[in-house]
Amino acid sequence: MKITPIIGLEVHVELKTKTKMFCNCSATHFHIDPNTHTCPVCLGLPGALPVPNKTACEWCIKLGLALGCSANLISFFERKNYFYPDLAKGYQLTQLEKPFVINGKINIDGHDIRINRAHMEEDTGKSVHITENGQDLTLIDFNRCGVPLVEIVSEPDIISPEMARNYLLKLQQIIRYLGISDADIEKGSMRCEPTINLKIEKDGKDFYTPLVEVKNVASLTGVQNAIQFEINRQTQEFEKTGEEKSKTNKTTRGWDADKNQTFLQREKEGSSDYRYFPEPDIPHIEFSDAEIAKIKSEIPELPDQKFVRYQKDLGLNDYDVTQLLADVNFSAAFEKSIGQNPTAAFAKFNANLFLGAIKTYFNESKDDLDINRINFDYFKNLFDAVSKSEISATAAKYLIVESYQSQIDPVYIAKNEGLIQVSDTSAIENFAKQVIESNPKAVEDYKKNPASIGFLIGQLMKASGGSANPSLAKEILERLLGP
Amino acid sequence: MDFSTLTINQIRQGLLDKKFTSVEIVNFFLDRIKKIDPQIKAFITITDEFALNQANILDEKIKKGESIGKLAGSIMAVKDIYLTKDIQTTSSSQVLNGYIPQYSSTVYQRLIDEDAILIGKTNTDVFAFGASTESSGYFTTKNPWNLEMVPGGSSGGSAAAVATNLCHFALGTDTGGSIRQPSSLCSVSGLKPTYGRNSRYGITAMASSFDCPGVFGNNIEDIALVTEITAGKDIHDTTSVDNKVPSYSQNLNKVNLKGLKIGLPKEYFTGAIDPEVKEKVLAAAKEFEKQGATLVDISLPNTDLGIAVYYILIPSEISANMARYDGIRFGQAVTDATDIISYYMQTRGKFMEPEVKRRILIGTYALSSGYYDAYYTKAAKVRTIIKKEFTDALKNIDVILAPCSPTPAWKIGEKVNDPLKMYLADVYTVCINVAGVPGLALPCGLNSQNLPIGFQLIGNFFEEEKLLSLGHQFQQFTDFHTKKPQL
Repeated sequence: MKITPIIGLEVHVELKTKTKMFCNCSATHFHIDPNTHTCPVCLGLPGALPVPNKTACEWCIKLGLALGCSANLISFFERKNYFYPDLAKGYQLTQLEKPFVINGKINIDGHDIRINRAHMEEDTGKSVHITENGQDLTLIDFNRCGVPLVEIVSEPDIISPEMARNYLLKLQQIIRYLGISDADIEKGSMRCEPTINLKIEKDGKDFYTPLVEVKNVASLTGVQNAIQFEINRQTQEFEKTGEEKSKTNKTTRGWDADKNQTFLQREKEGSSDYRYFPEPDIPHIEFSDAEIAKIKSEIPELPDQKFVRYQKDLGLNDYDVTQLLADVNFSAAFEKSIGQNPTAAFAKFNANLFLGAIKTYFNESKDDLDINRINFDYFKNLFDAVSKSEISATAAKYLIVESYQSQIDPVYIAKNEGLIQVSDTSAIENFAKQVIESNPKAVEDYKKNPASIGFLIGQLMKASGGSANPSLAKEILERLLGP
Repeated sequence: MDFSTLTINQIRQGLLDKKFTSVEIVNFFLDRIKKIDPQIKAFITITDEFALNQANILDEKIKKGESIGKLAGSIMAVKDIYLTKDIQTTSSSQVLNGYIPQYSSTVYQRLIDEDAILIGKTNTDVFAFGASTESSGYFTTKNPWNLEMVPGGSSGGSAAAVATNLCHFALGTDTGGSIRQPSSLCSVSGLKPTYGRNSRYGITAMASSFDCPGVFGNNIEDIALVTEITAGKDIHDTTSVDNKVPSYSQNLNKVNLKGLKIGLPKEYFTGAIDPEVKEKVLAAAKEFEKQGATLVDISLPNTDLGIAVYYILIPSEISANMARYDGIRFGQAVTDATDIISYYMQTRGKFMEPEVKRRILIGTYALSSGYYDAYYTKAAKVRTIIKKEFTDALKNIDVILAPCSPTPAWKIGEKVNDPLKMYLADVYTVCINVAGVPGLALPCGLNSQNLPIGFQLIGNFFEEEKLLSLGHQFQQFTDFHTKKPQL
């Protein structure tokens, strides 16, 4: 029996436009007083009409183009009808027949995952269930109602939980590089619903297990675990019942992160009828080829392109590049620090600082990296000083973080704090002579075992107050001690 | 002084000349409403305090010599589906009984900004669903020409209020004939502009791709004046159109009747048409002919599909537009439901009127999976054909002339139990809405029972100026529009 998982992902991303999708209310809703970012339109009051947010439409197209999609020059919205207290109008505006962008793909580890579409829709309000004075209450906050959402629908081309995770990471990365959303799964600005079934080859025949859509997955690990759980569950279920996929047996399951398992939410998904029809309140939306070309031209360099450039032009290795590109802000700061046409050595030097001292600092401080505090000259000065052995590589790590915080040239800090290395041979020779004289035992040890020179170097560094260039110190000690 | 017979311009001039005050005008109309409205029941809400307050402010402005709006002192009645900030708006449904909007509809606000005075909110079929005002969740308005008859609908309250001089002009909406048909049945003039000419923002939606706000008046001059203020792009309504708004009131004699080609579509003069209606409407056409126009027989062969298309598409849109009346954020709601589903069902079950439920059911059915293509998609295709039929016909002629209603007003109660018969009352008006072109209704006499008959002029997209000019000239060489019911 051979089992191949068939996984498709529906990903919702909240755009960080200033205003909502169909009105002028602020689109921010995280930690905002309930129902303060509302108006007749997003509250679905009688007579209110939607006016589409042009920026949101353009961003949806931009995302699609970045995913290799082509744009529908004429598209429109539809009403998706269902009742829920936090759905103000009793229908959601979305796109079914003519989404803004269709037919793209993302390459994950050499495997193409086709994108069916990226379409524009609006978020719902939020229902909060509480108990007050022993009474169960549902409170509704409409701040989120009408916030622009892009839904990215993949074809079922994903074949493992790890691939699903990497797909999401890649998507998240592209979205962040485009600057159109925080795409934060924990905060809900990126939400993911995997649909999973299995292809089972048995006795020379192919069987397909019933489709399962998993909801409420709120982390990357959750997505991976939920998919793995479903693969196991569906395998066992098939062995027990032999049930195959049909038009009517798609089910919806929830994800319980604590128990690490999915549970049945809704059966017979096929029976729900949203009665989609074209939204009559908004005329069809048309884009010209020139407008699409303009949107395309505004797409910044994306991680895949950067990857190639960092390797080719900067001579960085796979690992460094991957690490640098993981965070859009981080890579932008790195690029700022190396300036135009850097040497490979300078790029490598900065990469080491970013992936070492700078990363550690931000991990520990929990601060956000402020790109305005990244100064090319400071990096360049530091690099030059280290190249000339005026500053040690160890001191450089400390200095770059100090410099970021104080916005002072790291070389200047080094001078003030006595971190400039002495590379003056005669000065080091004097220290060396002192050390040899006062450590006869160590000198004897060295004669027996030249590897023990480290102790004498340490003593020399101590005597110089840490300012001696260690490699020069070693060289001079060896010369004075003789073979 | 009888302020009711003055035109909007005469009222404004009188105020400027200090012949009378706005407060005097308002008190005159409030007295008149007190006397007459109990007989015809045109109003759901009379905004006496609001009107007097407006009048005081206006009089103060005049006293100080400040500039005043183009509609200063004229009295308007507004169909109760237009949202009026801080003033109850019911849409004639119990669902919205007591509902006080927090914002105003654009069309209404534009008129208020020109110092028109709101005297009250008028009765309509519930959410404008109907042709007689009988589906109102409050009461039925009577036809002022015969109190046993319907005034037509859905904007029956507005038409009856203008017919009885309870205001200078009144706002209505025309989704399938709801301005033109009651105009015809009550003997007033009424303009259904091109779809998109007037903003729909702040008007409770019936069928969004059909709804067309417009105005009723005693004469075309007033209608032209009001329309040039209401018309034009509204940033809150993306279906409103940015075409330049002509100075309708300045161009009332612009169109030359000599050589004008008027098309008479044979489908509008055959079948179920009442003989007296046919006779009067054709007589009106002859009046144009006397002035040098040419009458041309034309055919609009898909006219009979209009009702079918209309009664598939509009309930579809209605079924979604009614979803927001769920009792969660506004409006009446039950208080004893045990769970959310029963809350919805009981609230909507208790407070929605039968015609609302009927249309939600039809629309929900038409949009359901498995039926959508057979009904909605097909109807949408026929809609395109009907639209083309009008634009094609209007390539060879200047304007179309047709009756508004196959019959004069009918008895209250006569059709309430036969929805299909009621729907057929729209047979001469719906195609114009299906196409989206403008139509102007004008009175053209009374039948042997002393019941009014009207006709409509239908133009191409955005040809309101032409229609108003023709209507105005018609009212110069005829006096049908001056006839008023005796109460």
